[in-house]
Amino acid sequence: MGGSSPCASCKLLRRRCAKDCIFAPYFPSDDPHKFAIVHKVFGASNVSKMLQELPVHQRADAVSSLVYEANARVRDPVYGCVGAISFLQNQVSQLEMQLAVAQAEILCFQMQEPNLPTHQIDQVDKSFLLSNNNFDDNNIPQYLSFASSSNVIQDPLKKESLWT
Amino acid sequence: MSNSTRCAACKSLRRRCSKDCVLAPYFPPTNPQRFACVHKIFGASNTTKMLEQLPLHLRAVAVDCMSFEASSRVEDPVYGSVRIISQLQEQIIEAQSELVKTKGEIAFHNAQQQQQMQQLQMIHAIAQEGEDQPSWLSSSQQDLFPNINQQQLEDYNYSNTFCGFEF
Repeated sequence: MGGSSPCASCKLLRRRCAKDCIFAPYFPSDDPHKFAIVHKVFGASNVSKMLQELPVHQRADAVSSLVYEANARVRDPVYGCVGAISFLQNQVSQLEMQLAVAQAEILCFQMQEPNLPTHQIDQVDKSFLLSNNNFDDNNIPQYLSFASSSNVIQDPLKKESLWT
Repeated sequence: MSNSTRCAACKSLRRRCSKDCVLAPYFPPTNPQRFACVHKIFGASNTTKMLEQLPLHLRAVAVDCMSFEASSRVEDPVYGSVRIISQLQEQIIEAQSELVKTKGEIAFHNAQQQQQMQQLQMIHAIAQEGEDQPSWLSSSQQDLFPNINQQQLEDYNYSNTFCGFEF
């Protein structure tokens, strides 16, 4: 960073912040905690290697997700992000069950009164309920055996969280 | 563990595997890939420090989770396991939206059914009113003409003398 102040990583690592410092664009000096937590969990050397292996336009997202994971692991040293995944999988299962019950009720109405308007029902995707296609397509493993933890759920990648 | 049965961690790090090696119980030599992932993402030193801060009975689970996160990150170097969290949150939003729509549909059908029931009840009530005779019709015919002398009626042979009509 030349004559300007060193980035948060170089400050923490107590080294000169070069012009082409790989950390500088993503760890500004005004947010030292961000690098501190990533360094604590992953290590500066590993983070540097990971960033070097990525094209420049993907590095910001990579840093965001690393920061998220590091925060998760600090908040929950046993389960980390997996706790959040397990919790969310439970939520999805519960919602799918509720949806199945509700749609069964709709089918009862249809059977009792076949002439009732069903324009909304036709658009309901029943396959959403009856299969776990979403999980199969994304290869998301079922971690329901882990104790679920909501300690770490917040905004991944700046999306709105449902649990705040 | 002797050198001949070093854990995967010590084999990878090319060091002697001591009896009290922190990593040995969780990185058996039969699965070198597991430690390789964890080492690549978290580093051996960080992994050891993190495990040392945990009670013994929680370390196995912690290593499983770290192993999952590390392998997710190796597969997806940009988002790692955070991608799964994002996808799950999106699924939850979709499911909630679907549930709200479906519950609205149920409320609509319930309201229609209630309306139909009320209409049926009204029709039934009206029909009942039509069938029931009013109280003034239920009394016997003789009360209609309280002042008529019954004997006079019999004497007059009512059917013959009342305008020729036969009753």
